[in-house]
Amino acid sequence: MILLIGGAYQGKLDYAKETFGITDTDVYACGSGEVDFSKRCICKIEEFALHHPDPVSYFMKSREAWQDSILIIRDIFCGVVPMDAEDRAWRQRAGRLAQYLSREATQVSRIFCGLEQRLK
Amino acid sequence: MTCFISGGAKSGKSALAQDLAVALAKGGRRYYVATMISTGSEDDDRIRRHIAQRDGMGFETVECFRTIMDCLKNADKEGVFLVDSITALLQNSLFPVEKNYEMDLSAATCCADELIQFARTVRHAVFVSDYIYSDAARYSGSTELYRKCLAEIDRRLAAVCDTVIEVSAGQLVIYKGDLRI
Repeated sequence: MILLIGGAYQGKLDYAKETFGITDTDVYACGSGEVDFSKRCICKIEEFALHHPDPVSYFMKSREAWQDSILIIRDIFCGVVPMDAEDRAWRQRAGRLAQYLSREATQVSRIFCGLEQRLK
Repeated sequence: MTCFISGGAKSGKSALAQDLAVALAKGGRRYYVATMISTGSEDDDRIRRHIAQRDGMGFETVECFRTIMDCLKNADKEGVFLVDSITALLQNSLFPVEKNYEMDLSAATCCADELIQFARTVRHAVFVSDYIYSDAARYSGSTELYRKCLAEIDRRLAAVCDTVIEVSAGQLVIYKGDLRI
């Protein structure tokens, strides 16, 4: 699994498309529902973490399904601690998930202004 | 050389950009493109601090609040241009002070296109932007749009510039190119 992380609007999905030959039909953008692991690229994982109470367990249970996937999560971790309790909880869930996925990944890349920095 | 520099607040971006511009000039003309429209005493202080910081570095100041190509009317395009910052340039265009900050999207697009054109026209330029993308805050519609517009300019500039650097606490992460002059 390849994990791409980066701030908002940094071109994470565009990078995946250019580098791994992904097209729109290969992409599942997370929302409140189940993740469609049949897609090669799963993006907006932070949105899944927003809606799911325990996203780490969810991804652990479906581990086999995303072994060869490209996973994309937005870095939402560098600001001031959010005032809103729900936002704080969201940031924590998403952060723990990012750490888990990062451990599992064979490659972790941070995307900055469309350019890659290899972290793992 | 064209160089794009970004990073968090107070990370040392401007200092790096100034040193780089001076080095690139090799004693030749260097222009500081002043982009900030002062809105009060806080801005005045900041501008004064920046002027003091540049003192003795040999920069000629060119005021340019919006259309960056206008810089070239009174400057030698073989010189070195320090554009600090993209953030201020976009703000001036997207939220024009004379229109009571009413959002002007077409001006923002124009600002972006001109910056790319500028980067392709001049021999040496150092662009400074601000990295404001890695938090969990939910912004108002206009602020979010501002972030999106700025990120688009950043990405386009990063694509055309020879060197792309992120500064963190004065340390450099080089994403593209190098600093050999």
